Amino acid sequence: MNLAFVLVIAAVLALATILSVAVTRSFQVRGSGGLSGTIRPIDVEAFRNLINPDEDEYLRRRLPPGQFRVVRRERLRAMAAYIHVVASNAAVLVRVGQAALATGDARVADAAHDLVNDALLLRRNATVALARIYLALAWPNSGFAAVPVVERYERLSGAAMLLGRLQNPAVPVRLSALP
Amino acid sequence: MLQAHSLLWHYLWVAPNVLLLILAALIWRRELRKQFPVFLIFAVVIAIEQLVLYAADVIPAVSGPTFWRVFWAGLLVEALVKFALIGELFGSVFGQYDSVANLGRKVIRGVGIALVLVATIAAAFAPVDNPRFTVISHAHILDQTIYLIECGLLLFIFLFAAYFKLGWNNASFGIALGLGISACVHLATWAVMANGGMMDKRHLLDFLNMATYHVCVLIWFYYLLLPQKVVTKSAVPLPEHSLAVWNQELERLLHQ
Repeated sequence: MNLAFVLVIAAVLALATILSVAVTRSFQVRGSGGLSGTIRPIDVEAFRNLINPDEDEYLRRRLPPGQFRVVRRERLRAMAAYIHVVASNAAVLVRVGQAALATGDARVADAAHDLVNDALLLRRNATVALARIYLALAWPNSGFAAVPVVERYERLSGAAMLLGRLQNPAVPVRLSALP
Repeated sequence: MLQAHSLLWHYLWVAPNVLLLILAALIWRRELRKQFPVFLIFAVVIAIEQLVLYAADVIPAVSGPTFWRVFWAGLLVEALVKFALIGELFGSVFGQYDSVANLGRKVIRGVGIALVLVATIAAAFAPVDNPRFTVISHAHILDQTIYLIECGLLLFIFLFAAYFKLGWNNASFGIALGLGISACVHLATWAVMANGGMMDKRHLLDFLNMATYHVCVLIWFYYLLLPQKVVTKSAVPLPEHSLAVWNQELERLLHQ
């Protein structure tokens, strides 16, 4: 009977999870209008600086080993915070892209599909990068590569802008539009 | 009322399966069969299997051992169709996105192997409580094994999609929801039966299984046939302020 008890508990937990996903989905469908407002800006340059291996090497040479480990951990925590935001933005863009998929315009649908695909890949990379960062927090002297996340983020920005242009041709998006 | 062969018992065994056959006919007529061919097969196979089992149960000429042999055969066919349906659901949610489809396929294979191992261990520890009719105990254990794997795979699909914030279309979601609820409740009841629990009140577990299955059939009706609300098909542009922020970041990169 102990085994039955374990399996019953597992089944109840699985059922609760599935039902909570169902409830969450219904709220997401209702509240998909203001999605884009939840995208948080990211300072890509600062992030690039954080993941620059030359910076790490410079700090390693200049600082005593104990102090280097402290600084390295601080930098890793900052990296993790950035990547959490990147992953969260990617999740929002998945939903924005999926909402745009339903439009009748084939060009918009294609752009939306690319956006969703890129956002999913970014979220996947962000997950892997976070795993590596947490591993590196335990061993600060080890090296790891978070560069693909930055590259993916830039590609995603391009895909999102293309979708924006296709959906709002009257409001052209230009890189030089900012002061 | 909650007794075997009561009116409610007959209703709960027959009605959901008749409804499922009607649903299969409507799916066929509404061209949904191209979108969910395996679900159509699932609906027909499960409904026929259950109606055959019902007939075998109520016809006096069919002996107990014969009933359980039919039950066994039906269970094996049912398992094959259900796992094919889970594959169809996975494809409909992730198939069009290469970036996660490959990863998902690898992970679901791993999860499947792990579930088979866990289910095998659970089956090995389950007692054969009826030495005179081992076929019954073995059927309970096989049911527990199948529902354990099914429940785990469906849970994985739900969690994987939720992690990536991937939306489901209504039909896929409805099929998965019904199948998931059914798998969880059946896993719990068959685990109790396979491990010798509630010996004198097993008809209550049968009622729970049948009622859950009925609810799941109604869920499939709702999600597959009722027209769903159109959700902001045109009003989903990216916000200008968001694009501007992204532009700002890109411009910084361009000026480096």
